[in-house]
Amino acid sequence: MSEKKHIKVKSRNEAFTDKTRTNIWHELPSDNNPYIASVCHCHGYDLIELMQKRSFIEVFFLLYRGELPNQEQAQLLEKLMIALINPGPRHPATRAAMNAGVGKTDSVHILPIALSIMGGEHQGAACIEPAMRFIRKNTKHDPAELAQQFVTELSDDVEGDITIAPGFGNRFGGIDQMPAHIAQLLIAEPASGKCMQWGQAFALSLNNNNMGWHTTGLAAAVFADLGFQPRMGAGLFQLLSAPGLFAHGIELANKPTTAMPFIKDENYVIET
Amino acid sequence: MSSKPEADDTSLWDENRNIIRSHKGGWVMGEAVYNHGYNMMDELVGHKSYMQIVILNATGRLVSKQLADWVEAVHICLSWPDPRIWCNHIGALGGTARCSIVAATVAGVIAADSRAYGSKPLIEGVGFIQRAHKELIQGTSVEDIVSTECARHGGKPYIMGYARPIAKGDERIPAMERVTKNLGFEVGPHLTLAGEIEEVLMRDFDEGMNINGYVSAFLSDQGLSAVEIYHMFITTVTSGVTACYVDAASKPAESFLALRCDDIDYQGKPHRSLPD
Repeated sequence: MSEKKHIKVKSRNEAFTDKTRTNIWHELPSDNNPYIASVCHCHGYDLIELMQKRSFIEVFFLLYRGELPNQEQAQLLEKLMIALINPGPRHPATRAAMNAGVGKTDSVHILPIALSIMGGEHQGAACIEPAMRFIRKNTKHDPAELAQQFVTELSDDVEGDITIAPGFGNRFGGIDQMPAHIAQLLIAEPASGKCMQWGQAFALSLNNNNMGWHTTGLAAAVFADLGFQPRMGAGLFQLLSAPGLFAHGIELANKPTTAMPFIKDENYVIET
Repeated sequence: MSSKPEADDTSLWDENRNIIRSHKGGWVMGEAVYNHGYNMMDELVGHKSYMQIVILNATGRLVSKQLADWVEAVHICLSWPDPRIWCNHIGALGGTARCSIVAATVAGVIAADSRAYGSKPLIEGVGFIQRAHKELIQGTSVEDIVSTECARHGGKPYIMGYARPIAKGDERIPAMERVTKNLGFEVGPHLTLAGEIEEVLMRDFDEGMNINGYVSAFLSDQGLSAVEIYHMFITTVTSGVTACYVDAASKPAESFLALRCDDIDYQGKPHRSLPD
């Protein structure tokens, strides 16, 4: 192949935009320095005015949806944010944060490290978009019938947790209790819509088979009911879990490396 | 539907509490560090190249130095110090923002875990050429392989491993052909097919092979799978990102591709007052 002709490398001369465009944020320059912003608008609203008159939850919603939420939407989002504020010290992402903390990793790295691990397909952010699409696509189908169909098609040789559909399954061999409790509260919220209703019915239909909501499915249903696009789901889930991840990481940052277990040699088995 | 079990089966997790079982190796203090059955200090350090160990850790295979050198050459091909490339741009932004060089470089590496460029498209590239080779063996012509694949993309030559963004042609292919020849590798059936596919695409679309296509075909000839190849190239852009970081970090903060407020084109809602 060494003698064959190659295409001479040349630019495609694609029409790239001259400026980066955004619909989100508008910075107005100060009078004497075009690099310094003196006023910032978020989807048209003055940031200073938002600070004075709106809650963090409302501005958070505005940032991603482009409009302020009504009171019911803000209430549902706030409750979800509390529900997701900490994946807990056993979640792999939190454990990554704790390892970074106790390992004396620079504190600026703790959150990026944890959020990378929070991007996983198992109980992590990578589940959210598929779960949102799954729920949105199936709200017209009978949840009990679909659950029955999935259970029937389930392979017998699954090792570990079962994810029977994106956002649903079991956890550590049983029904995950916390998302079940949280779902009961969220579904009573006026802004909970057809995705939460459908998801709850689907989860309950799985209960006889020792499965139900995953936390990821619950987050996906609420995000969908609040009108967030599926592609936003992963990042939103990471954002909402960030406070707990960082809290656990920084808690260990000033402690000695002995503050977390180091598996003893007799419990480390090399199987090659 | 079956009925709910009386108790949750947690045996899998019970068996994995307070114990780590490794198929890779580990440190036996006072004895040795083992890596896939090798004593690292006695058998690997000073005897094998760094890239051989990278591939060993990624795939479990201790490949020849010849193959590891070939893989190393690909890493050079994919680490350009040009901050216009997306992953490198992130490295430069890290430099201008005075991030740690590790954070900026890793951020660039993560960016290259992209559907459009970097290492992830190797999965699709290898998948294509291995599938095409099976079809060829079964009697499908190269012309039909190309037309079927193009038909999946509205008749356009969007085949992973061919064409490329920004530019036509790929200067890395002749470089890697030279490396392949100098290291004494034969051109195998996947690489031969890749070249034949390229000939059809050049004739019909004026599009050629890109580095993904070359790497996918060559390493398929070495008996590696798509996932193994992806795992071998996860940090392939690292060095270029670092270079761009260092360049930007050596200049005043936030001076890399400086933006005035009006350099951003706001196209959103007009300014408005908050509702009561």
